Amino acid sequence: MSLSRVIIASLSLMLAACQQTPVPSEAPVSADAELRQVSLALGYRPDVQFAPFYVAQREGFYADAGLEVTIEHHQAPDVQRLVADGQAEFGVADATDVMIARTADIPIRYVSTLYQSFPVALIGEAASVPTDPAGLAGMTIGTPGRFGSSWHALLALLEAGGLTEDDVTIREYPQFNQVDGLSNGDVALVTGFRNNEPLQLEARGTEVGLLTVDEVAPLPGPGMIVGDELLAEDPNLVQAFVGATAAAQAAVIDDPDLGFAAAEASVPAIAEDPEVARAILDATVGLWEGDGFVDGEIDQEAWAAGYATMMRLGFIDGSVPLEEMFVVTRR
Amino acid sequence: MRRIGTALVSLAVFVVVWKLVSVVGGYPDYILPAPEVVAERAWRAIGTGILWEHTAVTLLEVVLGFAVGASIAVLTGVALGKSLLIERVLSPYIVAAQAVPILALAPLLDIWFGGGLLARVVICALIVFFPIAIATMVGIRSTDPLLDEMLRSLGATDPQRTRLLEIPSALPVIFGGLRVGVTLAVIGAVVAEWAGASTGLGVLINIANQGLFDTPLMFVALAALAIIGLFFYGLVVLAERRLLSH
Repeated sequence: MSLSRVIIASLSLMLAACQQTPVPSEAPVSADAELRQVSLALGYRPDVQFAPFYVAQREGFYADAGLEVTIEHHQAPDVQRLVADGQAEFGVADATDVMIARTADIPIRYVSTLYQSFPVALIGEAASVPTDPAGLAGMTIGTPGRFGSSWHALLALLEAGGLTEDDVTIREYPQFNQVDGLSNGDVALVTGFRNNEPLQLEARGTEVGLLTVDEVAPLPGPGMIVGDELLAEDPNLVQAFVGATAAAQAAVIDDPDLGFAAAEASVPAIAEDPEVARAILDATVGLWEGDGFVDGEIDQEAWAAGYATMMRLGFIDGSVPLEEMFVVTRR
Repeated sequence: MRRIGTALVSLAVFVVVWKLVSVVGGYPDYILPAPEVVAERAWRAIGTGILWEHTAVTLLEVVLGFAVGASIAVLTGVALGKSLLIERVLSPYIVAAQAVPILALAPLLDIWFGGGLLARVVICALIVFFPIAIATMVGIRSTDPLLDEMLRSLGATDPQRTRLLEIPSALPVIFGGLRVGVTLAVIGAVVAEWAGASTGLGVLINIANQGLFDTPLMFVALAALAIIGLFFYGLVVLAERRLLSH
C-alpha cells in the first residue's frame, strides 16, 4: 500500500470516528473572520436541482462554515478531473462514475450523498413500460450514449432481467434529446432522470410509466466528491463544506419554497417556465430523501451492491477496493 | 525524400515539445498523458480492434460526406458564379445556413433523417458545402474576360465555355476550397457522431472521455482523426498537382 493510500485510509477512519455532527451549524464562524474561498464544480448548467447550493450561498450556510463558495458549471466528465487536479475543491458526480474514475487512477473520493435514490429510470408511455426488466427484450431504447449513470443503470436493469445489450436495440442521443426520439416514435423507451424527462413528457401530454433501478439493482446516487490531496491536507475543510451543504439541503427539504426562491434568484432561466422548474424541484426533493433523508450519509450497502454490479458489468476490475472509493464523513 | 525527412523532423520536434510540457508541467495522465503513454494505449487499442472498429466508420462518413457535399457545392458554385440572379436568391440562405452552428442543428438533423449513416452524411456534407461552393463561385467569376470573349467569338455555347474555360480556369481556387472542405469533412463526421451514433471516432472520444475517464484513449482517437485529415488533405493536394500540371 502506498504512503498516500495509508494517509487517506487513516483519515477516513478518523473522519468516520469523529464526525457525527455537521460542522457549520454548530461551529459558526464570527462575522469578521476571513472566509476561505473554495470552488464547487457542477457537471450541468445552472438548474433548480442545485437549490441546496444556492440556499447555502444565499442564506449563509457556507459563510457560517467559514467558506465563500464559487459555483462553476462544466461538462460532467470534467468535474472529476478538475477536482482531482485541485482546480476545484469540490464537485458533484455520479457514484458509478466515481467508481470508474477512481479505477482509472483519478484520485477522487465520494464524501457525501446528495441523492438517496438513484435518479435514473427507464421512461416511456405507461403502456409500453414493462413491469419486469425481462420484458425489455426486443425493445428499442434511447440513451445519451454508452457512458454515464444512464448507461450503467440500463445495463444493470438488463442484467437484472437476464438480458444483455444484444437483446435490445440501443439508439444513442448524445445531445440528451432522447425524449424527442421517444415522442417521435423512434424508440419505445428512454433512459432519463426521474426528476426531469418524465416531467417533459407529461408536459407534452404523455402518460408516463417508469421502470426504476432501485428495486431491482441498487446503485448509489450522485454525491459530493473531493480530491485525495485536499482530503489529506484539510479534512476539516471537507467536513465544513459537506456539513454546510447537507444542512442547506435539509432546509430545502423542510421548506421547498426557500429552495425555489434561492434557485429563482440564481438561475434566470427559471423565469421562462417557473411551473416546470418548481415541479422539477419537488421531484428532486423526493429523490434526495429516498426512503428518508439522512443528512448526506453514504449508504454503504448500496455502495457494496453497486460496486458488485459495476464489477459484473465490466466497468471496474476491482483493482481499487470498495473502501477506497468513498470516505464516510456523515453519519 | 527531403519532404518526408522534413515532416519526420517536424513530428519529432512536436513529440519532444509535448513530452517536455508533460514533464515540466507535472501533469497526471488524466490531464495530459505523455506521448509514450498515448503510444502504448494506441498499441493496445489496435490490438483489441477497438480503434479500427471506430476508425472505419468515420472514414466511411468522411468519404461519403465529402463526396456528396463537394459535388453539390461545385455544381452550386458554378450556378452562383454564372448567374447573378441565382446568387441573389440563394446567397442569403447559404450564408445564413453557414452562420447557424451545426452543433445546434445536428441533433435535429439526426432525427429528421432517421439517424444512421444517412443523417451523418448529410451533416458532414453540410459542413463541407460552404467553402467549396464559395471558392467555386469566386473561381468561375475570375475567368479571364478576354478568353471568354474569344470563345464567344468562335461560337462556343454556354455549356462549352463553362466546360472548356470557366471550370479549368477556376480549378486552382476550387482546389483551395476542397483543401478546406476535406478537413472540415473530418470535423463534420465527428459532429454527426456526437449528434447520434454507436460507432465512430467521435463516439470513441465520448466513451473514453465520459465513460472510461481514459484520457490516453481520447488522445489516440484525436490522433487518428488528425491522421485521417492529413491523409485526405494529401490526396486533394496530389489530385490538384496532377490536374493542374496539365
